[in-house]
Amino acid sequence: MKDFFMLIGFSEILLVIFMQWEVYVTKIVKTFSVSSYLIALFLFYLSFIQHSYIVLVLAILTAVIRGFFIPYFILKRLSRDPWRERESTPITGTASSIIISLMIGIFTYVLYEATMSSFVTISLGALPIALIFQGAFLVISRRSAFIQLVGYMVMENAAFLFTGYLFPDLPFSVEAGTVLDLIGIVMISGVIMRMRENSAKKSDDFDELRG
Amino acid sequence: MIILSVIQLVYVLALAPLIAGLIATIEERIESKKGPSIFQPYYDLFKLFRKESVVPSAASPLFRIGPYVTFALYMLLTLVLPIITAFPLQFGPVVDFIGGGLTFGAAATFKKLTALDSRNNYSHLGTSRSASIGALSEPITVLIFIILGVISQTNNPYVINNVLQTSTSWYLSLVHWFVAAAFFMVLLVETGKLPIESHSTAELGAIDQSMEMEYSGTDLAFFKWGGYAKQFLLMSVFLNVYTVPFWVPMRMNFNAVFIYMGIQLLKLIALSIVFSFLEETVSKFRLFKNFDYISIAFAMAFLSFLAFNVSR
Repeated sequence: MKDFFMLIGFSEILLVIFMQWEVYVTKIVKTFSVSSYLIALFLFYLSFIQHSYIVLVLAILTAVIRGFFIPYFILKRLSRDPWRERESTPITGTASSIIISLMIGIFTYVLYEATMSSFVTISLGALPIALIFQGAFLVISRRSAFIQLVGYMVMENAAFLFTGYLFPDLPFSVEAGTVLDLIGIVMISGVIMRMRENSAKKSDDFDELRG
Repeated sequence: MIILSVIQLVYVLALAPLIAGLIATIEERIESKKGPSIFQPYYDLFKLFRKESVVPSAASPLFRIGPYVTFALYMLLTLVLPIITAFPLQFGPVVDFIGGGLTFGAAATFKKLTALDSRNNYSHLGTSRSASIGALSEPITVLIFIILGVISQTNNPYVINNVLQTSTSWYLSLVHWFVAAAFFMVLLVETGKLPIESHSTAELGAIDQSMEMEYSGTDLAFFKWGGYAKQFLLMSVFLNVYTVPFWVPMRMNFNAVFIYMGIQLLKLIALSIVFSFLEETVSKFRLFKNFDYISIAFAMAFLSFLAFNVSR
């Protein structure tokens, strides 16, 4: 279990670093899809270990909604506006983004060891927390609303990983609630983006959306 | 022991051009071209050794001795690295992994100095690029060696090979595979492969090729042969220490060593095929994007540290 969690955790961190490297929004969304399938795989494994149908349902929901539906929705939206495909001017440079993202991981590990390790004796718990911070950094280091949305969902994925490994007995309603929240967030984000687009068209302010 | 050292030296120097020729031929075959013979580097070396060297009038004596010094340094490395044995040969104790890295660095520095000494603008351009990339990739190499030191409690490449051959847990650990991935990325940088460097001498992307621009004849032959040897050595280290440490003889046995020489050649051919496919499937990065690539390699090396700490 520990080894599998470590493998998934580090794969997730690597995928976030790849997202920091990438400037094409489509590839970032597809990477997020892979990341979600990995979370689903982890939950599936967890359900197998714990013989829990509830976690199995959560694994299926994660794969369907986060792995397939959300990326599909975003990609479909992107295909209508090819000019959104590439973010040409990220807020921080690619190399520095990668290094900062890495440093965030190290900082989180040190912080986790200094604060939480006394009552949570699992050092691997630092991985999902690092992922949360890296997702947050993805949000603040990019201009494209789609990438910011992916960054937010990376944070959600990290929360799934964290609760799945450290608190596997968390009530299903809370976890399923998170999934439902996500659907809502995606819908609301879609509406907000449409509003931003419309307002930009009126003012001819395309730079904000160019990403 | 001394006999094996000589055999290892001959093995590397004789087969290094073959691996370079093999990579070139496979690449051409992938492009549906007939391509050169796999022995083309031998023909090139033979031709260059028969030609006279031309030296720029502005160059100092450093320009002439450069190819010989770098070639000698690669020969020294051939004698100390685990190529056909996993036990130290006669000169094995001379340097550890850090020392080996420093020797590689010394050869690269000497090459840069000679390129600067040629007074050719294109050579200066290549030197500048090489120094910029090297300044970032060398620390990654040192970081990798430190992590290997953590794994094996030593800096000796032979011990590292023995640890990875005998310990399945270390071999399968994420720490080891992050290090291997980082080294593979650095290997592409050091051997001038795509996506970092293309074969062309076009000024927009040339790095190593432009550094040798003023060389000709025997001097160029030694530079080229040294380059082939460097590629052979780095590929062998990648295979024998990082990814496929198996079957390397750990005890003195001539038969085992001779059999392994064949296996090592097969391993190198497999890696050459990987290199060729990689070169044919990725396009060259723009120069400033090389630093993004190096930052990923750094991330890999650093993540192995994190993996080591969280898995304790």
